[in-house]
Amino acid sequence: MGILEKVADNRETKAWYGDIPVQHLYTAGVAGERFLSEIRDNGKILGTLCEKCNFVYVPPMIYCERCFARLTEWVPVSHKGVVESFTVGYIDMDGKPLPEPRVMAVINLDGATSSLVHFLEEIEPDDITFGMEVEAVFRPKGERKGSILDISHFRPVG
Amino acid sequence: MTEEVAIIGVGYTAASPVTPEVSYREMIYEAAVKAYQDAHVKPKDIKSFVCLSEDFHEGTSIFDEYVPDQLGAVLKPVHTVTGDGIHGLIEATMHIQTGLMDVVAVEAHSKASNILTPFHIMAFATDPVYNQPLKMHPYYIAGLEMNRFLLETGNTREHCAMVVQKNRQNALDNPVAAYGAQVAPDDVLQSRPLFAPLSKLDTSLHADGAVVMVLASAKRARELSDHPIWVKGIGWCSDSPSLENRDWAQAVYARLAGDAAYRMAGIRNPREEIDLAEIDDTFSYKELQHMEALRLCREGEAGLLLEEGTADLDGDLPINPSGGTLGTGFLYEASGLYRVLELVLQLRGEAGKRQLAHVNTGLAFSWRGIPTTSGAAIVVSNN
Repeated sequence: MGILEKVADNRETKAWYGDIPVQHLYTAGVAGERFLSEIRDNGKILGTLCEKCNFVYVPPMIYCERCFARLTEWVPVSHKGVVESFTVGYIDMDGKPLPEPRVMAVINLDGATSSLVHFLEEIEPDDITFGMEVEAVFRPKGERKGSILDISHFRPVG
Repeated sequence: MTEEVAIIGVGYTAASPVTPEVSYREMIYEAAVKAYQDAHVKPKDIKSFVCLSEDFHEGTSIFDEYVPDQLGAVLKPVHTVTGDGIHGLIEATMHIQTGLMDVVAVEAHSKASNILTPFHIMAFATDPVYNQPLKMHPYYIAGLEMNRFLLETGNTREHCAMVVQKNRQNALDNPVAAYGAQVAPDDVLQSRPLFAPLSKLDTSLHADGAVVMVLASAKRARELSDHPIWVKGIGWCSDSPSLENRDWAQAVYARLAGDAAYRMAGIRNPREEIDLAEIDDTFSYKELQHMEALRLCREGEAGLLLEEGTADLDGDLPINPSGGTLGTGFLYEASGLYRVLELVLQLRGEAGKRQLAHVNTGLAFSWRGIPTTSGAAIVVSNN
């Protein structure tokens, strides 16, 4: 035993409550600014292309994380894509049950190499399949804020 | 390895779901006293100290300033690495290889029971612009990865359930483990879904604990220790941090970290040359995924090894004889050191009821947890 004596009575154990006073701004950056503005203003999803790696980044980046090249070529990608993976969520951040299960999916948009992670709705969890075609549902123009949530969710095509 | 390095002392507290009676400092102090006694050193003999912690888990900013006193490291070279415990062992190994230090201590701990909002902190580690606005419990990342991994490899939820059964069973014979239990695969399959296919019993539960290890140069190791455990190979790697650009099925970070460690250790066929493995199983499927990435079996065959009993205590290649993270508990940065602790005890022949016969070379691999794609590998041997 490293310590000679320990508190051995539950009634004597003490702890102090604390919280962390943190507030932040996050800069979207050159790539993020253009990506989010384009969704907000035009309902379009843009990526950047690394020609050497044949990789289209969505969300876009101004550099390639594979070959480290500076990326300058912007390409529009489809608002439709396929489900690469999905999960049915039952708990909230505190571990409490969600009022309704919430489906999240990894979605590879047509024309993109990256895949977005977002909500998948308007379908029963049991009916979801790998590779199924889905499309982005944008919030009405007046409600968009330049956030990833300007895409409210994805839903099956058709 | 250019300059040989050995682990010559281990000290630890038993993992426990709660530890209201001690502060994190007292836990570390206890582990340090034991480790130094085990290594036959005093703090004055230790030339450098490497710690692992993360401010948000400690509730203190610049937490790395709070480590010297309980280690006997006041007025000594000390620094913190933000990573898993095995990252710290790697750091210590390199310190010794510089020739500047001949004895180095590594410390990691978890006071998880004091963290009141663990999943808020975990979610806070995801991308603030693209992921945090979704405001979801971060286990969605494990649910997505598990589903894709099972699809691509043909492993099944039943195989994942067998991992849980094995590891929690192994933990029953490990006095250090907090979550030993007899769990039937059906219990896992029928437990509450969190992010389906991931269920409650597929996930590890948090625990408190501290581990300190003492490493030394070959010369000092031979002077100080009767049973040095030699570091044969090290490797570490991170995939893309972004959810958007990572591999959702394979643990590429584990493949590359493992390959680097094997190369250094001169291991060509891990399946034959590794006698036991302690690898990350924070979630049941992660053990299978890491087995395949670390070449302990072929891709898609991890479940088969479980079925055949190969990974059991009496199998050809015992995996997580300690009970792993599912059985020991999720101990944040200390998780990897509890994996290595088991290797040290087994290779010394000090593993008690779960002692394996004829083991000389062990692999430990840790993953830094959600949302990271960072892993660290270490190969150790008793000869």
